Amino acid sequence: MQTPTMSEPLESAAPLPGHWRRGSTLVLREAGIGIALLVLVAVFAALSPIFLTASNITNIFTQISINIILAVGMTFVILIGGIDLSVGSVMALCAVVAGTALKVEGLSEPAAIGLAALASVGVGALCGLANGAISAAWSIPSFIVTLGMLNVARGAALQWTQARTIYEFPDAFNEFGTATFAGIPALFLVALLLVAIGWFVLNRTVFGRLVYAIGNNEEAVRLAGHPVKAIKVAAFVIAGVAVGIGAVVYMARLTIASPIVGIGFELNAIAAVIIGGTSLSGGRGSIIGKLLGACIIGVLANGLILIGMSDFLRQMVTGAVIILAVILDVVRARLTRRTA
Amino acid sequence: MTAHHANAIELRGIGRRYPGVVALDGVDLVLEAGRIHALAGENGAGKSTLIKILGGAERPDAGSMRLFGEPYAPRTPLDASRAGIRVVHQELQMLEAMTVAENLLFDDFPCKAFGLLDRRALRSRAKELLARVGLEGLDPSTQVATLGMAHRQLIEIARALSAQSRVMVLDEPTATLTPRETRQLLAIMRQLRDEGVAVVFVSHHLEELFEVCDSVTVLRNGRHIQTVPMSQTSPDELVRQMVGRGVEPGRETAARPAGGGTPALEVRGLRFAGQRGRGGIDLTLHAGEIVGLAGLVGSGRTETVRAIFGADRRVAGEILRDGRPVDIQAPQDALQAGICLLTENRKDEGLVLDMPIAANVSLASLRSVSSRGLLRRDEETRIARRAGDDLRIRMSGVQQHARQLSGGNQQKVVLAKWLQRAPRVLILDEPTRGVDVGAKAEIHLLLQRMAADGVALLVVSSDLRELMGLCDRMLVLSKGTLAGEVARPDFDEEAILAMAYQEYLRSADTDHVRAA
Repeated sequence: MQTPTMSEPLESAAPLPGHWRRGSTLVLREAGIGIALLVLVAVFAALSPIFLTASNITNIFTQISINIILAVGMTFVILIGGIDLSVGSVMALCAVVAGTALKVEGLSEPAAIGLAALASVGVGALCGLANGAISAAWSIPSFIVTLGMLNVARGAALQWTQARTIYEFPDAFNEFGTATFAGIPALFLVALLLVAIGWFVLNRTVFGRLVYAIGNNEEAVRLAGHPVKAIKVAAFVIAGVAVGIGAVVYMARLTIASPIVGIGFELNAIAAVIIGGTSLSGGRGSIIGKLLGACIIGVLANGLILIGMSDFLRQMVTGAVIILAVILDVVRARLTRRTA
Repeated sequence: MTAHHANAIELRGIGRRYPGVVALDGVDLVLEAGRIHALAGENGAGKSTLIKILGGAERPDAGSMRLFGEPYAPRTPLDASRAGIRVVHQELQMLEAMTVAENLLFDDFPCKAFGLLDRRALRSRAKELLARVGLEGLDPSTQVATLGMAHRQLIEIARALSAQSRVMVLDEPTATLTPRETRQLLAIMRQLRDEGVAVVFVSHHLEELFEVCDSVTVLRNGRHIQTVPMSQTSPDELVRQMVGRGVEPGRETAARPAGGGTPALEVRGLRFAGQRGRGGIDLTLHAGEIVGLAGLVGSGRTETVRAIFGADRRVAGEILRDGRPVDIQAPQDALQAGICLLTENRKDEGLVLDMPIAANVSLASLRSVSSRGLLRRDEETRIARRAGDDLRIRMSGVQQHARQLSGGNQQKVVLAKWLQRAPRVLILDEPTRGVDVGAKAEIHLLLQRMAADGVALLVVSSDLRELMGLCDRMLVLSKGTLAGEVARPDFDEEAILAMAYQEYLRSADTDHVRAA
């Protein structure tokens, strides 16, 4: 039937060097989003004289910071094949807890700010832990668990404040919201820092490798002896921490903490992640793409206001752009599979 | 029955090749209307491929097909179904969340005007069909998810009855049925036969073939061995023909001494979830030994090795490594104890297809390519390159995605992953399935080298010849029971296959135990 031989049929030679192709599709993907962003910028610049002014650019940077921060956390959750719908509500809960901390009497300004930041991140992490642990323990789709958390956290925020807004924060805190370095808002720098950390964790750590691998093939990772459930829970905790940081950034910008902030923010974050080229089925996508995705959404929102489009129409356009991005994602996936 | 002017089905010289494998080579199959025809053969003999071709799921590379004298060339299962050929597959495809009635009539919902579902007709037709398979008592509005396998199997058959088939193919339909349900099914087959339907019946249970079939076609290694009336053969004769008399000369494998002393792996009284048969499975594995685990598909080979590795839950049993008990609850416990498992399905369980080869190779040994949680990519690349050279993996580079490799090279990547852990016990489930001939030989050589280095190997394969060429010893599973053990000097295909069939040939008495 067969003779032992070390020769092998030549069927396996790939038509193209794979690493080259992979590199090129990655670059192409990111380049595609970048080009889309540039086109948007050019269009708005042509339509509105205000769009490219320094103050408007600063404005855009400030506006998109929060979405970038949330999207960094969301990336981890979507990469493992989950989703976090509770982001906006948890942000409100983080904000009111942090707002309360800022108002604790007898604390020095730095101490109050430190306590607030800690409280916000802590609340976010706890909510993420609850999301992740519940969905992992009973194998419940995270879609459902986080939908529940969306209500729990919002209710908790309203209960905590009796639906009142907290304001009159320390000056140092409020100034952070408007501070700029070389014309770049401090808030945006925080967002960029988180993008850098997120990129590092996903691309340079064992944990990041396993996050990608779980999104691709959970069973193979489990059989390789890795604690799949713990890693999934950790992804939700990271998303929660990002929400906690986002809440502080958002409070600094608005100089208030309200239990009704953040409504719909989860959708913006998910949209940024998807426009940024992350597959909703998990395992694929980069964090740089997310940054560009968030920029597209931010530029779109800002530009459409400047050209005088109504709130309602803007909502429709943003929604349509998200659907378009998903269609492109599916088409791209199909093309990649065909060439493979 | 009136004589038909043509055979119901006439397949002549059917051939089908897959890359590196000839699944079918010049096979004939002739069915007469109003007859039950058995299709017999070992695992991998070509039965499934032939059924797929008959049912339009695969197309032959060679040969001709005629249906009642007319040329027949189905392109899809739907074509086959329209031509009156129905296949009831081993793996059931049911819509679990829907009702029995909806599943039964899924192909042809009774409709009223404007495409509205005719609920009354749905219900009454479903009741008729259920009655034909002896499920008069079952409410058609029951949700399928609430039913057991046996019910589902019968429903699947009832569904096939709804289509007024002229040819019905039943692929291992009795595997999950109790004796009573089996008798019911055999009665249905006789009834179909009397109605003039041509029935093809595949079963490991030889006594069922003899009870109900008119004639039998035996396949072996993709070739047509013979077709005879059932009355002119016997179970022993069939087994002999499935195996073939001339056993190939064994390969040059030097018979390694079966290492004495403490076994590298000892399993006592293992029972896995859903195990049939009585008692547990005991096995021992010595360092430097290659032991084969043989048995028919569904005999519990995969379940056994998965339970040892902790991939699935173990219901009972002890596992000892080098004489010390180890508590294996999950794969990481087995890995800790130096036990690795190459699973049977590399695409679903072995590889991360859309990640680079380097990441796949390091997946089970990330600690050695990282320090304090940070990946050392140079090290990872170096290790993957070396593994690529050692195993002769054909790739354009270690960053190439696993998906782009051929089956043989993918399997080598999975092997490379486990080799990085330097296992003391390596269990391999169908290590050469879907692997081309060249890579297969390379994998065999590699396993022999590992054994020479003192690794204990346990190999599951449906290819008995592979095991005979490779192993020092063979364990044979039959229906969840360890039916026997054969040492290399006594390897005999016929005897091993007889062991594999042993539990299936037992009278229905013992079956009552599990049926009850």
